[in-house]
Amino acid sequence: MSSVIWRIVGGVLNVGIVLLVAPLGQGVLRKVTARVQSRQGPPLWQPYFDLLKLLGKEDIESGETPRMQRFAAYLSLATVLAVACLVPMGFASPMNGAADIILLIYLLTLCGICTLLAGLAAGSTYSLVGASREMMSMIALEPVFAIALIVGALHTGSFRLDTVLNGSVYGTAGVPWSGLIMLAVMILSFQAFVQRVPFDISEAETELMEGPLMEYSGPKLALFKYAQMAKLVIYSALFVRMFVPWGAGFTFPLAGLVFWAMFWAKVAVVVLVVTLVAATHARYRIDQAIRFFAGMFAAALGALVLASYGY
Amino acid sequence: MLTPEQSVLVAIVACLAGAALTLVVARNKVAAGWVAFAVTSVSAAVILRAVAEVLWRGPSAHPAAFWAMPRFGFALRIYVDGLTAVFLLLASVIAVPAAFYSILYMRHYREYGVGRYYPYFLLFLAAMYGLLSTTDMMWFFFIFWQLMTLPGYALIRYEHRKKENVWAANKFLIMMQVACAATMIGAELLAVGGKAVSGSASLKYDFDTVSANLPLLLATRPGMTALAFGLFLMGFGIKMGMWPFGQFWLPDAHPAAPSPVSAMLSGVMIKTGVYGVMRYFLWLVPVSARESYPLARWGMLVAILGTITLFTGTMQAMKQEQTKRLLAFHSIGQVGYILLGTGACMALVAANTPAATALGTIAVCGALFHVLNHGLFKGLLFLNAGSMLHATGTQDLNQMGGMMKFMPVTAVTALIASFSISGVPLFNGFVSKWSIYVAAIQGSGWAHYLVVCAVIAILTSALTLASFMKFFGVSFLSRTSARVRERAAQGRMEVPGMMQAPQVALAFCCVLLGVVPAIGFRLIGRALGASRGGLGTALASASPLLSGRLGGVGETNSAAVFAPLALGVVLALTFALVYGISKLGSATRRAAVPWLCGYAREAECNRYVAHNFYGEIKRYFRWLGGMPRVRKPPVLKGQF
Repeated sequence: MSSVIWRIVGGVLNVGIVLLVAPLGQGVLRKVTARVQSRQGPPLWQPYFDLLKLLGKEDIESGETPRMQRFAAYLSLATVLAVACLVPMGFASPMNGAADIILLIYLLTLCGICTLLAGLAAGSTYSLVGASREMMSMIALEPVFAIALIVGALHTGSFRLDTVLNGSVYGTAGVPWSGLIMLAVMILSFQAFVQRVPFDISEAETELMEGPLMEYSGPKLALFKYAQMAKLVIYSALFVRMFVPWGAGFTFPLAGLVFWAMFWAKVAVVVLVVTLVAATHARYRIDQAIRFFAGMFAAALGALVLASYGY
Repeated sequence: MLTPEQSVLVAIVACLAGAALTLVVARNKVAAGWVAFAVTSVSAAVILRAVAEVLWRGPSAHPAAFWAMPRFGFALRIYVDGLTAVFLLLASVIAVPAAFYSILYMRHYREYGVGRYYPYFLLFLAAMYGLLSTTDMMWFFFIFWQLMTLPGYALIRYEHRKKENVWAANKFLIMMQVACAATMIGAELLAVGGKAVSGSASLKYDFDTVSANLPLLLATRPGMTALAFGLFLMGFGIKMGMWPFGQFWLPDAHPAAPSPVSAMLSGVMIKTGVYGVMRYFLWLVPVSARESYPLARWGMLVAILGTITLFTGTMQAMKQEQTKRLLAFHSIGQVGYILLGTGACMALVAANTPAATALGTIAVCGALFHVLNHGLFKGLLFLNAGSMLHATGTQDLNQMGGMMKFMPVTAVTALIASFSISGVPLFNGFVSKWSIYVAAIQGSGWAHYLVVCAVIAILTSALTLASFMKFFGVSFLSRTSARVRERAAQGRMEVPGMMQAPQVALAFCCVLLGVVPAIGFRLIGRALGASRGGLGTALASASPLLSGRLGGVGETNSAAVFAPLALGVVLALTFALVYGISKLGSATRRAAVPWLCGYAREAECNRYVAHNFYGEIKRYFRWLGGMPRVRKPPVLKGQF
């Protein structure tokens, strides 16, 4: 019984932290981008104010089926928060006994589905173009992420979240070839997972005016933006857990706390790197991006074959 | 009480009698529909009772012989074991909603009577009951196969004044006869060889005789048996739409038939091919033949063919712009998943270690569960497509849009079916795919290619999602098209309640099996336990899946778990939290039209339609074929 309570506490903690930290990540992103571009930039807290402001603004529904628009908006942040309950963030995954990596892969897809439904329901031509692009990048990206997890599953022989999300890609013996290839692949395609420049093709402010989100305003836009910020944090956390999980070796009483703090420090570094890449690159076209992802997929398949032979 | 075998015979006879009866009352469309529905329900009830008896009390000790002419090896012997029971369950569960849906649906064919519909529908159903339970590989196989093919042919060319439907039906007929010939030649090879090696001639085409002779035959004439099994794979592969990878018959045949029949063709008929592969390759071969039977190679062949099928079928489906044609291509894709599960099972059982056999059982559980799930969601999707056709008079997705407002029930059930087929968690498609992935990935220790197959299957699942986001998005969401606006102005678009009911029932099943998958896994576990023939015996005694906490499932070694109810609770809580957040600012709502940059007005010509979706991917995979043949340019109306 107590384990159930701890799981609930863990879940609440994960959701709470993601909700609290996500806008800060966005704030850092905007500030650093501005600095790189020799601007002053908004204060770090600006995204919090933006969200609060949006929550109170008028909610204009342009679609013919507003119920679907509302459903998509609520579900998009809800799914991201549910994913937060699957990821071990400094301590064991709260949903470890009820979910495995296959569910994680498909839940992350569900986050994308919500954006698609939102775009389709809004009905603007721009939204639909954005939805089509978003789906095409999902097709190319989902298997890459899946392979990263499956490589870990092959090395450990298990699908459990705590086992796989623990640096498992590197295996145990010898030079971890498959793990290193996957690390390279994930670094190269990470911007796409968190939908930042140079892979923010589905939103593309300058040509599609936010794509699927173009018609949204007020609280719904706040929810979508919030979900996107939370995604950055969660994907960074997943990256840290999969590829740089070290730091649990401390033995003094505060080990747990230190481990927890180190985890979030590493997440912050990942966010910073994402920002720097985003601030210094230009957007790819969708066909260029798909070709790039196809290359990543081919490399990942190679890693997968290596992993299945134990390398 | 009737034995399961007698029940099947009663159901077949009931359907045959019903076929005659519907012919008599065919002048009144609705009355004939009710008669057909009543007969279908009675036969389904009898079948379901037989299935329940087999699963809970175990199968009969021996096949029941109803009629025999031993001189020709000709015998009507029927046997219902667990494997047959699963497929019979599927046939009866899909036939009832399809028959019920037909009652009102068939009214909209003004130029065609139902005298050429209901009798064939019932014959078709009777033939499937027979084909799934006969143990005769030659004569009764032939009789039931033809009894399924010829009414199928008649149903596909139901609208015979359209030339393309007749051509589609002819292609169907040719392919089915090729498949029939291939399978029968295979059976003849086994029977002749068996007679030669054992000297006994009684009932040489029966499963029991063939199975008994196989060890000797495999040892002495491996080439001939391999040829026979190759012919089986060819014949059943054609039936399930695998050959020739979606190019020739299936995508034309399924859309041509009336929608409830499309549901039966896609949901049930092609599964008889899956049944054949499972039965012949696993349950027919006795354990004693293990040494000389190249099971691992056959498993590899089936798994790789399955992977090719699922990718090509789905990729071609993504290019489609006609509702039922899109769904037909997806049937090929989904059969690929089932084949992958079956092939993985064969490859893993061949390894012959307890761990591999356990994973093989998970694979075949996934395949059988996907057989049921695909029947449910594809049946539902074809009924949805039927409702869309009923409401708009077209199958062209380019002319649809914004229909959710006008037909909410159809829209919500179509969304559930789309989620199910794309494998969204909490819907039934996810669970069966989950077990196929688990088996294929963990089984890659014994067969390395399986993990690559699994990744391609995951990629294909994203393609499926893309295709159904298009299917659902452009028809029910997006903006109202000119055609829909015109139809809506003429009156109510949503189909009547009697057509909604089967859609709702099937959607409910999809959600139920998705949230409590333990029901499905228990059922299939029992079915495997109740089919102890050949190599299936090994599968019957392994129990690798636990009905885990909260109606979920998990592997016995707890390497993989899925508890949908827990996920459902978490999602519901976060949903409530998000809802609360969105209400914090007490914002007001207002409706407006989408903004088109201020200088274009909304018109039919600037709607983003099905044809425009996924251009880049369609271009890269042009070589794979299946591009829509007739593409009318969009109608340019309204002002620029």
